[in-house]
Amino acid sequence: MNRVRLPWFRREMSAGRFALVMNLPTLLCLGLVLAYPVGYAAYLSVHRVGLAQLRRGEFAFTGWENYGRVLEDPLFWVAIKNTLIFTVITVGSEIVLAVAIALLINQAAIRTSRITRFLILLPYAIPPICNGLIWSFLYSFQFGFLNRILFSLGLISDPVNWAGNPDTALYAVTVPYIWRTLPFAIILVHAALQGIPRELYEQAAIDGANAWHRFTKITWPMLQQIIAIILILRTAFAFAVFEEILAITQGGPGDATWVAAWYSYKITFAPPNNFGMGSASAFILTLMVAAIALVYMRLIYRRVTL
Amino acid sequence: MFKTTPTARLMLHIANLMVIFFILLPVVAVFIGSIQSEKALQADTRRVLPLEVTFDNFRVILSKGEQKGRIFDQATYLPDNIKNFYVAFANSAIVAISVTVLTLLFGSLSAYTLARLRYRWTLFLLQANIVARFVPVIVLMIPLYVVMRSIGQLNSLTGVIIAETGFLLPYAILILAPYFDTIPGELEEAARIDGCTRFTAFVRIVLPLATPALAACGVIMFIISWHELLIPLILNARPNFMTLPVVIASLVGDVHVFFNLMMAICLLALAPTVILVALLQKYIVEGLSAGAVKG
Repeated sequence: MNRVRLPWFRREMSAGRFALVMNLPTLLCLGLVLAYPVGYAAYLSVHRVGLAQLRRGEFAFTGWENYGRVLEDPLFWVAIKNTLIFTVITVGSEIVLAVAIALLINQAAIRTSRITRFLILLPYAIPPICNGLIWSFLYSFQFGFLNRILFSLGLISDPVNWAGNPDTALYAVTVPYIWRTLPFAIILVHAALQGIPRELYEQAAIDGANAWHRFTKITWPMLQQIIAIILILRTAFAFAVFEEILAITQGGPGDATWVAAWYSYKITFAPPNNFGMGSASAFILTLMVAAIALVYMRLIYRRVTL
Repeated sequence: MFKTTPTARLMLHIANLMVIFFILLPVVAVFIGSIQSEKALQADTRRVLPLEVTFDNFRVILSKGEQKGRIFDQATYLPDNIKNFYVAFANSAIVAISVTVLTLLFGSLSAYTLARLRYRWTLFLLQANIVARFVPVIVLMIPLYVVMRSIGQLNSLTGVIIAETGFLLPYAILILAPYFDTIPGELEEAARIDGCTRFTAFVRIVLPLATPALAACGVIMFIISWHELLIPLILNARPNFMTLPVVIASLVGDVHVFFNLMMAICLLALAPTVILVALLQKYIVEGLSAGAVKG
């Protein structure tokens, strides 16, 4: 058979080379914007880097000094403690609320459930920084919308300082975060609910199981996988919460709402601009998130439930 | 699915109303806050509904501070960033559209090969994308700031677009890959027998079939990049290059800006993505599920 020699661009590549060419832009992006900066952050974290050094372009090697200073900084431990409290509250409430609301909007026969289902994605559309500002208006001590509502309902007689009280500020900032990120969890749980075969429930009804048994014996076991996924994803993202803190409390009052990402941000980008220490603290945050990511990989590749 | 008693139905209605109240609370707050004056908000601090309705807040923003209306008649100071609304809106649109196009383009090329051609390194790349999704933005921003500063790319939209594309690409791939996996391989084999190369089979056969996944991924990418604050906040400090979230963040702590004006600019900034979500809800729901569940 005569083989016609085609020009190079008409010739078929091997599958392996084809895959490589198709992935070049991705490899370039991942290398340039993800791998290289993470490596460079590690580099910065063991050097002395301030504004003066940035101007000169020379960074002196300091070994573990930045890590030492971060770990000796009481504010860093406050930030870590606040981050952990924030994460436990937001992720815990989100999972409980997501399961409850997903079950609620699954009741297609209830008219109000259809309205809820239509509105459920609305918070996903709100920019986080706007969400933060809106809640700072809601929470405002003197002019706040939340106090106005509670006054009108006769529930309070004096204004409440929701986000300005050091004892309650951290809890106050969890609510906007839960509000904004809840749709994601509800949608995943709802999708999982719809994947449960109806026959299971019909069989259970024949066997005389009540609603509680149907939930504990059928629904909950079938939801475990997706709840484990939500738990991990939301924990990793709650660890890096930033916008709501910036908009509502800026870490205050005092250090009541300093969280890990806010710490790295302030250390780096507010005077005296210590890029080395900022990188070290951000790197510690990354290591914690990386540990969570590894659990996630085990989960989705081995299909183990928590 | 099951017969519900009247009491149970009532309880479900009440539960729904509570959820609806919680979802709508901030939306009602931003709306009511934006249609009144500073004076009215301060005059009666226990009133829910506005004393009088005015659109001066929007007027002053949309006229770049020129038409002050009654509310800002005596105002001697308006933040420059508020006057820059159109520039910021355009910057946000340029960034969000570019990032959407780039992530869809690069993402579909990758996701297709990662789903179809199983080598050890493609599996590794897929796993790398899953891990990459977890990287906190703040750890990227410190080195990116140093790098962009040294190559003179601070205060440029290109820098922000590159950073956001790289940051979002793993997520785009994770949303798209499961969908490409469901398209039967026989279609491409048939096309290849008819003389298509792998690439033309991908462009002519697979991509058109993947339109719903591309829509889902595209709208999610647009929303996330429209919302992104930290990347442009750190890279672009000059007013001409600020995106809307950066302008809004700059009002935090400005004692001369009261809630009425803040709520108005927030409402203008959140409108585009709210409209998108209302119109493309179905795709977003599918995209969110796809991106989280399968690897």
